[in-house]
Formats: sequence, structure tokens, C-alpha cells
Amino acid sequence: MINFFLMVNKQGQTRLSRYYEHVEILKRTTLEAEVIKNCLSRSKEQCSFIEYKDFKLVYRQYAALFIVVGIDETENEMAVYELIHNFVEVLDKYFSRVVSDLESMQPASSLEKP
Amino acid sequence: MSDVVERTLSALPGLLGQHDSGAGLGGGGPGRVSATSRLGGLIRSITALASKHEEEKLIQQELNNLKATVSAPTTTLRLMKECMVRLIYCEMLGYEASFGYIHAIKLAQQGNLLEKRVGYLAVSLFLHENHELLLLLVNTVVKDLQSTNLVEVCMALTVVSQIFPREMIPAVLPLIEDKLQHSKEIIRRKAVQALYKFYLIAPNQVQHIHDKFRKALCDRDVGVMAASLHIYLQMVKENSSGYKDLTGSFVTILKQVVGGKLPIDFNYHSVPAPWFQIQLLRILGLLGKDDPRTSELMYDVLDESLRRAEINHNITYAILFECVQTIYTIYPKSDMLEKAAKCIGKFVLSPKINLKYLGMDF
Repeated sequence: MINFFLMVNKQGQTRLSRYYEHVEILKRTTLEAEVIKNCLSRSKEQCSFIEYKDFKLVYRQYAALFIVVGIDETENEMAVYELIHNFVEVLDKYFSRVVSDLESMQPASSLEKP
Repeated sequence: MSDVVERTLSALPGLLGQHDSGAGLGGGGPGRVSATSRLGGLIRSITALASKHEEEKLIQQELNNLKATVSAPTTTLRLMKECMVRLIYCEMLGYEASFGYIHAIKLAQQGNLLEKRVGYLAVSLFLHENHELLLLLVNTVVKDLQSTNLVEVCMALTVVSQIFPREMIPAVLPLIEDKLQHSKEIIRRKAVQALYKFYLIAPNQVQHIHDKFRKALCDRDVGVMAASLHIYLQMVKENSSGYKDLTGSFVTILKQVVGGKLPIDFNYHSVPAPWFQIQLLRILGLLGKDDPRTSELMYDVLDESLRRAEINHNITYAILFECVQTIYTIYPKSDMLEKAAKCIGKFVLSPKINLKYLGMDF
């Protein structure tokens, strides 16, 4: 079962979150911060499946955006990994250039920073 | 995808565009600035801030504004819709906006189609199963289920399958059972999903409609059949012996999927309906466990699935993984086990780290 679906940028700001079971609002921000910390600390050679508390995280990076899905042990991790990609492809087709648009929300000032 | 949904989705951007009054109005009249530009402005200003403290200040200010707007008696429903979208965003960032919940329900009740859509979305995001305001939604849902407008019926069914109080199930159950025979496949599919939710939260209340689930399994539309698979997976998990007679049907469906008989829309990177295949493999695994006779029926189709999933794409690896897991769960057959072991070997030796993980997972 999919427990939650998150889209978070590299700075840790939540772009989209959807919880499929009730989690208190205050707990959500801590959960998201920890999840993104886990994902950012992974290197390219490590696999996309992390064990976190009592569920698994499947994450996928698209430029500056991380899509993270929390699943329980009954799910097929690779299937969820491809589900994320399917989701992005559908968004891309429907809204066109979705990932680059989300990136363009980064203001011009951040590009000036060294 | 059903043609009703296609037409609705293609009409929506046009309808939403009617609210647009051009960019950069900033402080212009509240009713005239479009919802998307106000939300877009809010998102951009949040992104521009450097620290968490500033974000908190800005959101609190925004929430105060929204609180004033939603409580004002002169607020139009259109403006309320726009406020609701921003409230959803604020809650998503982690700032509670409980003053807006009752207005979300009101919006779903009174609004026109677009406002109702936002209202229902807000309700499904804000409220949870045991929330006291949820009971207020039941009347709206009942009314919309009986509406002649298909989109309203769809929205009501979607909300029912996401969040519905257990005590009020008897009130809507007959209406939803009715929808199982609707001529539009999207409504049948959503009705099946709503009944799946009911099965999860109150299984004893849906005991009497098991043969209607069987009918859904044999439905001519693939979407409805796929939705019924979720119910069957759950039911087979709890009691596999009751459904052994359906093994033949599941095997036939899987054969048809693997053989490419589904419409081409279901192809993902030239693999026919992969998640559908995975679901079927799981059900077959549970049915064939410790049962040689039932397992006999599956060997052929498992063999074919293994063969077809030779293409080098992640999704075929997912199907192979599920296949191998099924082979190990059901009554063993030596050459199947040999093929499965070869498959695991390939995973473990693969240079791709994700595949190594899958191989280790056995």
C-alpha cells in the first residue's frame, strides 16, 4: 500500500504532498524533513530504495526535484519506481515541460548565488 | 481512457481560462484575479524566501487574510474557491487552517461544477476518517450521487472512495450498488473503488454483494475489471479457499494481457499493462499456495510471463520479480524453479544497483 507521495525540491521545500492515511499536520513537516534528508544524503551509486522506520521509501530524482513515495512491505518496489516515472510522463504530456516549469519557480536571485 | 473523461479534461482548461483576467494585476479587484495567478504568486513568494522564519511570517499573514475573506458574508463562491486552493497549499506546507474546513464543505454543497470540484478536493485533503465535520458531507454526497450530471456523480464517488464515515455506509450503499450497472464505464469503475473502500473499513456490510463483484470482474471494460482486482486481492488474502474457482478466470485474464489483447492505451513503454500484470500475479500466488491442483493451472501463463518479460526495461524487471515471487509461493515445479533461480541470478549479478537490491530481496 502506498502511504504517501511527496514532491520535494533540493532545498527541502515541499512542492506536493499527498497522504493516503491520516498523519497529523505537525508530524507531516517532520516526516517530510527527515525523508528528504535521507534522500539527499544518498549518492548516485546507491539504490533508490531506502528503509525508513516501518516503511520503505522509493525515490527518484528529476533535476532539482525529488519524488518520494512511502510504501509498506507488500508493494513491489520496482513497480512503484516505474509508477513514479509514469506519473511524471503523464504530467509532462498533459501540462508540457512540467519539471522545467517547477524548476523555473526558483527565483533568478538563487542563480546569482555562488 | 473513457471518452467522457477525455472530453471533460479537454474542456476544463477552456473553462478555467474564462476566469483569467491577465497577469500582473497584483492588488486588483479580488474577484477578477484568477485562482492560478494568486496561488502562483504565493508559491513564488514562498520560494523566494531564504529562511523558515520568514516563510512562517508570510504564511501566517496569508492565513489571516484568508480567514477574514472566508468568514465575510459577502464572499462569492468563486472567491471562496480561490481561497480554498490557497488554504490547501498552506496546509500542505504544514500550517493548520481548520477555520476553512466548514467552508470547504459548504463549497462542495453549493458551488457550481468547478467550485464543487475544488470543494470536494479540499474536503478529501483536510478531513480524515474520524473527523466530526465529515457527517455534514453525507447529504451532499447522497444528493450528488442521484444527480443526472455524470461529472457530479463521478466526484461524489471519488470522495466516497477516499474518505467516508463508517456509520453512514448504509445510507449510500444502495445508491452505489445501483451505479454498478451504469452504462458509463467510468462510473462503474468508481463505484467498484468506493465498494473496495467499504470492504476495507466495514467488510460485514458488503457481504451480500460478492456476486456483483464477480460481475465486475467479467466486465467488458478493462478499467472496471482492474478495479475489481483490488477487492479480490484483499478477499483472497483473507480467505484463499473461497476463490479457487476463480483461478481459471484470473489465468485467462493474465493470458490475454500478456498476449497483448488489451487496447494500446494500456501499454507502458511497449509493455502491456504492467501494474495490472503484477496485481494478477499476486492474486495467483495467493491462490496457488500449497495447492498443487490450482498451481497446475498457472504454470503455463507464468512461463509465458517469464518469457515475454525479456526486454531490458525496469518495468519488465518489476514483472519478473513478481513472477519469481509467485513461482516460489505456489506449489513447486522443478523447471519453473530453475528458470526463476536463473532470473534471480541475473538480478544479483546485474551492474544496476536497483536490480541487485531486488535480487537480494528474495
